[in-house]
Amino acid sequence: MNTLTIILLILTIGAAFTYFINAVNHKLTAISAFVTITIATGYFFGLAELGDQFKFALGDFSMQWGLNAFSYYFIYIVLGLSWLALLYSIAYMEGKARLGYYYGAFLLTIAGMFGVVISQDFISLFIFWEIMTWASFLLVIYNYYYNIKTEGMKYMIFSAIGAYAMLTAIVFIHHYYGTFLIGEALSKGAFSFNQHIFIPIFLLLGFGIKAAVMPFHVWAPGAYAKTPMSFTAVFSGALSKMGIFGIALVFSTYYITHNAGGFIASQILAWMGGITAVMGTIYALIQTDAKRLLAYSSVAQLGYIVVGLSTGTKLGIMAALYLAVLHAAFKGALFMVAGAVEKQAGTTDMTKISGLIKRMPWTFLVALISIITLAGVPPLGGFVGKWLIYEALITESNNYFLAIVIFFSSTAAFLYSYRFLFGLFLGQEEEDTKDVKEAPVTMLIPMLMLSFVSIITGVMPGLVFNPAAKAMNALGFADTNWDMTSLSNIWGNTTDLSLIGIFIIIVFILGFAVLTLKGRKKTKSVGTKDISSSGELWKEGENWTFQQDFFKPFQRAAAPLYKFDMDKIWSDMGNALEAFFGFFRKVYTGNGQTYAIYVIAFLAILLIFKDYIFN
Amino acid sequence: MEGIGFEILGALLTTILAFVVGMFFGGLNRKITARTQNRVGPPVYQNFIDLMKLQAKRTNIAHGFMGHVAPIWIIIAATTVLMFIPILHDGLWFRNLTFRGDLIFLLYMMVFGSLGMALGAGQSGNPNSAIGVSRGLSQMVGFEIPFVLALVSLMIQFQTTSIQDLMAYQHESGQWIIFANPFAFLAAILSYLGMFRYSPFDIVGAPAELASGPISEFGGKYLGTVMTGGSIFTFVKLVLMVDIFFGGAGNFGTGFWGVVAGLVELVVKTFIVYLIPVFIGLVSPRFRTEQAIRFFWKWPTVFGVIAVLWAVFL
Amino acid sequence: MVISPVHYIVAPLLAAFAIALLSKIYKNAARIVPGIVLFYNIVISLVLMPQVLEKGMISEVIAGWEAPWGINLVLTPFSGFLTTAVSVIGFAIWLYGYKFKVRLQGGEVKYYEILQMMMIAGSLGVIITGDLFNMFVFIEIVGITAYSLTAFYRHRDGAEASFKYLLIGSLASIFLLMGILIIYTQTGSLNMAQIAERMPMVPQTMKVTALIFFLIALGIEAEMFPMNGWAPDAYSQAPSPTSAVFAAVVSVAGVYALIRVTFTVFDVEGVHQYLIVMGFVTMLVAEISAVAQVNLKRMLAYSSLGQMGLVLIAFGIGSHLAVFGAIFLMLNHAVIKALLFMSGSYFIYNSDDKRLIGLNGIHKRLPFVSAIFSIAAFAIIGFPPFSGFWSKFYILIAAGDENMIFLIIGILMVTIIELVYYLRTVARIYFYKDEVEHTEHKPSINAIVAMSFLTLFIIVIGIYPNLITGYLHQAADSLLDKASYIQHILK
Repeated sequence: MNTLTIILLILTIGAAFTYFINAVNHKLTAISAFVTITIATGYFFGLAELGDQFKFALGDFSMQWGLNAFSYYFIYIVLGLSWLALLYSIAYMEGKARLGYYYGAFLLTIAGMFGVVISQDFISLFIFWEIMTWASFLLVIYNYYYNIKTEGMKYMIFSAIGAYAMLTAIVFIHHYYGTFLIGEALSKGAFSFNQHIFIPIFLLLGFGIKAAVMPFHVWAPGAYAKTPMSFTAVFSGALSKMGIFGIALVFSTYYITHNAGGFIASQILAWMGGITAVMGTIYALIQTDAKRLLAYSSVAQLGYIVVGLSTGTKLGIMAALYLAVLHAAFKGALFMVAGAVEKQAGTTDMTKISGLIKRMPWTFLVALISIITLAGVPPLGGFVGKWLIYEALITESNNYFLAIVIFFSSTAAFLYSYRFLFGLFLGQEEEDTKDVKEAPVTMLIPMLMLSFVSIITGVMPGLVFNPAAKAMNALGFADTNWDMTSLSNIWGNTTDLSLIGIFIIIVFILGFAVLTLKGRKKTKSVGTKDISSSGELWKEGENWTFQQDFFKPFQRAAAPLYKFDMDKIWSDMGNALEAFFGFFRKVYTGNGQTYAIYVIAFLAILLIFKDYIFN
Repeated sequence: MEGIGFEILGALLTTILAFVVGMFFGGLNRKITARTQNRVGPPVYQNFIDLMKLQAKRTNIAHGFMGHVAPIWIIIAATTVLMFIPILHDGLWFRNLTFRGDLIFLLYMMVFGSLGMALGAGQSGNPNSAIGVSRGLSQMVGFEIPFVLALVSLMIQFQTTSIQDLMAYQHESGQWIIFANPFAFLAAILSYLGMFRYSPFDIVGAPAELASGPISEFGGKYLGTVMTGGSIFTFVKLVLMVDIFFGGAGNFGTGFWGVVAGLVELVVKTFIVYLIPVFIGLVSPRFRTEQAIRFFWKWPTVFGVIAVLWAVFL
Repeated sequence: MVISPVHYIVAPLLAAFAIALLSKIYKNAARIVPGIVLFYNIVISLVLMPQVLEKGMISEVIAGWEAPWGINLVLTPFSGFLTTAVSVIGFAIWLYGYKFKVRLQGGEVKYYEILQMMMIAGSLGVIITGDLFNMFVFIEIVGITAYSLTAFYRHRDGAEASFKYLLIGSLASIFLLMGILIIYTQTGSLNMAQIAERMPMVPQTMKVTALIFFLIALGIEAEMFPMNGWAPDAYSQAPSPTSAVFAAVVSVAGVYALIRVTFTVFDVEGVHQYLIVMGFVTMLVAEISAVAQVNLKRMLAYSSLGQMGLVLIAFGIGSHLAVFGAIFLMLNHAVIKALLFMSGSYFIYNSDDKRLIGLNGIHKRLPFVSAIFSIAAFAIIGFPPFSGFWSKFYILIAAGDENMIFLIIGILMVTIIELVYYLRTVARIYFYKDEVEHTEHKPSINAIVAMSFLTLFIIVIGIYPNLITGYLHQAADSLLDKASYIQHILK
């Protein structure tokens, strides 16, 4: 039997098995889920090969699943991150209720994502897309009680709008081009923006909603923040990348031919990505809940990736693909950090806790590395992504103003990056967090592994470049050469990352040695309460950490930007629709005589107009 | 082997040069300020004395690991950026790592130091530090925009992201870039006012209000290190400005006296550029943070936009 | 004894009478006999279907009078497929309702079962008959039994619902008779095949008028807008197994009658557009109304109306693939809706508050039933990998082939509305805190078996629809092939 089918079977049967074993013994559930994903991942990386294909017929349609370099690249994200997240889940979800349901849906989501990536025909793609969507919906509503206008419904409605737009496009691709195979549709010009322009636009709508592009991003902050953190790592890290996967696919024709219709679409998409990046960032920095902050930040980061994709140039696509992997790594790690804090300290509300650095040093280390990567500061991997985006925008696609917008968003990202670190870990310690312990080992290991990815790609980005280049080949780009450790653009300027990394490490070691050793005997370590407080004395139980309205000046300065609340617009639309429906329902008056009148009146109408209707 | 030794020596010399010149510039700033205010003022080498005093303090208070490490970050940021900016135009000395990094890298590296500082300030537990950091970061969003606009306009105009190439252009064509794209210079120098944190943008470390903001809990050897790093960084920023807009230095050949002459030229040029923020700082009151941010988003950004348009269409 | 189509009708009818007699002797006869009979119906299907598929059609004449003078029963792949489905689902519903304690406010189990049997007999009759007047008779049988069953609980709401049903149903009978009258006077025959043969000779006005009467009358039975006002009340007030039978059997019969008449008997242009438009309006209004409902069974009833609308749209599109999808959807809807009513009834049974709020958090007490309800809900929305996805997909592809982009967008937008209220309910079941008083009624083993069987169908067909696509193709072919229908019967 085919490798790909076996992996899907492992995942789905594993999901069912995990669901049922929860009734037997709670402790086994997490282990069962983890074992399933380990087997699936191991099987994949051990046995699956590029070029594997599986064709079969299902109900009059011929389906095709296969593995090309482009799919392979995304499977790294899907399986890799999922494996780490499930390892993390073991400790994170301990003691919670309905574990069978949680792990079952989790594994189904992974199966769905895997299926999406290996689909080479549209029907399979849609089927797995839907499975992925409803399985993740089940997880979004996991934490819910009471609230009917839930984030889950918002998520489902937006996803459904996207998915059904996609379905419409698929139906018409079949109608106009006579095929369901993605490769064939591509070569026949289905995505070319020149004719039947609604097809690629609807496909983009479907994929874009999943990738949280403005103005359809409103489901993301709530959904990412309210879902259990171990799933959000996968939700934000891998699931959103499915949208990226699709957008890259849709634009692939444009990348090669650079036709005019595609150019306009790519510009619109690029600006939408840019606006997403800006709005996501500025909303992130006013949040007081660490989870929501990360959620908005994810939206912004996805904006960068979308911008990269829509430039259509070599550096741009590489930037998008590279950032996709890196975002999965650092955002996954950050959500895991938030989860660890939540589990150990009870809340992630930054106005309630602070100063956890002494109690959770390893968690802090992970957070620090991931935040530096997020901010894009050298020598860690995030800088490479930022570099690629700017170079793409400035040197290759001449989109200067968008570069400025991205830079603005990136600079503002420093604000919330710092806020996250400061709000949770720095400042004075809160009384209630006296007994907080470090996160358990099974939670630390995945976090540290993800941080390691961030570190290593900072010095050797070639590790990611090479698979990504192969993926780009599969999309139709010509072969490109990528250095292991240095970056170069088309104007000939290079940046040598290994040198930078070595230099920084050397200076750090030297500086650390000098600073620590010199005057060692004279150094006195004090706690956070021992500060120069200008005559005011610190009292027991007080916490002087500055947490409220941390960026109030910025908020005031950028006030016009904050007036634009997309969430409110959608909510208003939803309310209006509901009122409209409530009114419409009154057609069914409940009165028998009315119904009889309907019938007779309808008869009369038909008889009067029969010549027009039936001819 | 000899090459490596040569390089390391060059790096060390560059650092020492930056340190010395930076400290002197700080002293000169205090002297000029004093004279303007009709005082005598401290001697120009006062910063060195301060540094020695700080290193000789009897106790150094360390606020946790991040607080301990933060000054090192600043040193790293300053020296790394220093390595990647060409000090002299030609020549074997002071070449450092100039070919190996470009403007985008420099933009981000300059932030590295602030981040470290912010983290160290955060761990100290002093709310004043945190407020100072918040203001500092917000202001940064303000002044980075025109700065980036200026740099991008230059990148477009000369189709390069390397400072080396910009200097080469100025050297070959004999025209300083300040004349090739004056609006870029305007945008850049205005954003420099924010970067230097002299009035009117000194709300970040307002001494009377915030107990010096982020550095309020740093003392002893830590404060000394911060000061060192800050001085090097001052010099670095000035050299960047000079290299990009004023043709750099080192146009006198490669012999020993040529190098010295080049260095002198560099110091003179940077000092002249330095006077701009100093003089503006002397006569300005303090902006509130949001006023500062708004200021940067108004005229400097407009200049930056004009600079980009200039670069695209001219 | 040779098995022939007439057994479909005769067996349940005999059973009805037998129950009346046997229950005097043995009390539980009323519960057992229907099961035996329905099982027999399944056997009939299994025997006859292969013959039908091979020969193309079985036409059986009653009482020796050859067609077109006598009444004949026609088992085409299409009607045969539907009767098989009805028999199987009917059996499952019987199994579910085996221990059903009819809340005896004056009704007895035997009356209930008698009426159910007659209703099923009538519906099957509608499906397999080849004669117009015979169809009228069977529709009347279905009507009368349905009215009684709706009012079975003898409380105010049931009586009111039954009255509405009766009122509208009578209108249906009147118009049906008028239509048949016109046809009879114009063509001189009551046999569907012969009428179809003679139809081209009928003057246009007469034809169209007769068609309109049929459309209205059968539209009432097929729950088309604006004639479906009776349906929400009837579905929600009838006892649970009856609601399931309404959804699975009666509506199938109604739609079949409508389609047979429009496709085979008449040859008027413009019917297809009419079906598409009215079907869409039905679907739209029904689903919109469903969102506002607070009563679970009413919500399911409106959802049924919506699905029927979609079926009509699909038939209206008329291509082979569309008809294929329509029949598939009819099958799926019958299974899924029956399942929804079955599981939904347990929810209502278990909570004292009959509104949706009574469903809060009910999965803790009824985990199995909740899971089934959720799977059925997912299936009816059209999520893969459940069977509902395939039927919707085929219909959309057929619409795409006809370039009907706005129709496709319309159907998908209505699907989103459907999604909202079903998922809301699923969320309630699983994630809301239960605050309502409840009495404990766990599902009995027979109900569990019945529901599991139907659920299994949904999942298996969803993953591997090839199991039934062959039959569906033949069914679709047979519907569209008017000539061979006529020829086969009138030979």
